[in-house]
Amino acid sequence: MVAQTLEIKSSSASMWGTTTGIRTLPTVSKYIDTSTCIGCKACEAACQEWNDLKRVPTSQTGSYQTMPELDAEFWNLIKFREHDTADGLAWLMRKDQCMHCAEPGCLAACPAPGAIVQYANGIVDVNPEACIGCGYCATGCPFDVPKFHPKTSKMAKCTLCVDRVEVGLEPACIKACPTGCLNFGTKEDMVALGNLRVKQLKENGFKDAVLYDPPGVGGTSVVTVLKFNDPGWYGLPANPHVPIGVRVWKQILRPVGVIAAFLSIFAVFSHYTKYGPKEPALPVRDEENGAPPQRVEGGKVL
Amino acid sequence: MSSTYVETPIVVARHRENVAVNGEIIRHRRATRLIHWSVALTFFLALITGMPIWTPIFRWMAALVGGLEVARIIHPYAGVLFFLVSVLQFFHWLGDMHFRADEKGSWRPSKLMAYMRYEDTMPEGGKYNPGQKVFFWAVTLGAVGFLLTGIVMWFPLQFPPIVREIAILLHDITFICFFIAIVFHIYLGTAAEPGTFRSMVRGTVSRPWARLHHPGWLKEIDKE
Repeated sequence: MVAQTLEIKSSSASMWGTTTGIRTLPTVSKYIDTSTCIGCKACEAACQEWNDLKRVPTSQTGSYQTMPELDAEFWNLIKFREHDTADGLAWLMRKDQCMHCAEPGCLAACPAPGAIVQYANGIVDVNPEACIGCGYCATGCPFDVPKFHPKTSKMAKCTLCVDRVEVGLEPACIKACPTGCLNFGTKEDMVALGNLRVKQLKENGFKDAVLYDPPGVGGTSVVTVLKFNDPGWYGLPANPHVPIGVRVWKQILRPVGVIAAFLSIFAVFSHYTKYGPKEPALPVRDEENGAPPQRVEGGKVL
Repeated sequence: MSSTYVETPIVVARHRENVAVNGEIIRHRRATRLIHWSVALTFFLALITGMPIWTPIFRWMAALVGGLEVARIIHPYAGVLFFLVSVLQFFHWLGDMHFRADEKGSWRPSKLMAYMRYEDTMPEGGKYNPGQKVFFWAVTLGAVGFLLTGIVMWFPLQFPPIVREIAILLHDITFICFFIAIVFHIYLGTAAEPGTFRSMVRGTVSRPWARLHHPGWLKEIDKE
């Protein structure tokens, strides 16, 4: 049995998780304030260290960004973006990682039972033992987070430091942040903190400030304060949702297909009981008239 | 005493077909049968490794190959093998599978349903009736569909998300249609039309079977 603090709310390709209903765990959340992020990348280093991830070669992307996108061995990436505004250049930094959606597209798309789980506290985690490396999760994710290890073909991503959260610690990235732009707590508290910060920003001239907690995926366990109400400036989708193709596939096509498959088997049994086999009949002697044998084939008298 | 080479039907059926031997008629020579069973076996290998990935209801099928992760490894290769033998089958059978002028429209569902009711509405067919030709072309189309969408699903990160979504949906739709077609194919080839299965294993059919199912074909053989 998993630790009680890690009851599983939902599990990929499974009917249900392991929640007993006895305990009620609050949903946890990271809090990211992009307005106070200084781009120091302490969170990147802390993530690599805590998770024992290898040093990944950096690459020049034309900015201070460590590499173009997340990697199977690099789960936390500060994304640097620049944008011209009426008040001059906006130099934007955002901490990119798994968003831990309340309705995770990766979990919905995953065909391997138990390979992706959502704990009762909202953390979405990968179980490499059950992962078959098919890549469906990458198709299901609206944030392009799951990455594949080229050697093992297993998916890897931010675990929200589930091994730390389980024993009452904050995630490594939050621990390392020097400016307090990162915080960790219950979803309720982090949303309250975010709303407070948005209010402060609005009072200080950033009239469009907003808390990014997209409802299209049921909200995320990473709430992000944005100074500008255009998530695209930060490289975030404006209205993320589980792709329509994945939903049609899992919720419509799959049940319809399974039913159609079983119905087709039933149909041939039904057919046989009604029509029987189509076979050449044996010669029938018309005994009463003493007539010569007739051949009856396929319902026709020849 | 020197041994005598006996031309029994099974011996003749190694290399020749469409001939009568000892009162039996050879329908499928050995090459045809081997190709057919290669397609069938690779298809079923792809089926038992693909269905457990499709939905956990069929997860038990994965046990037949040693688990879901093994199924996931085998499936794409089984699929490629299925496609390759399907290509071989396509060119092997293509000559016999053109619709004749009087068979135009015989592929319509109403016609196929009438055939399933054993109504005699089909034109007097040659070696293959229009239903079999429809199945041949459906299998060909399905094999191409499986391959194209399967390649996208095999290497998902090489394609944009929208292409992956469409490929997954088309792969599923192709499979659902294929599965239903295969159920009817197996049924017609065994229980519904006795004597048919023998033509695909031993290669021979009886004269009454040929007269009932393929009278035009029988006439051609008797002419020779």
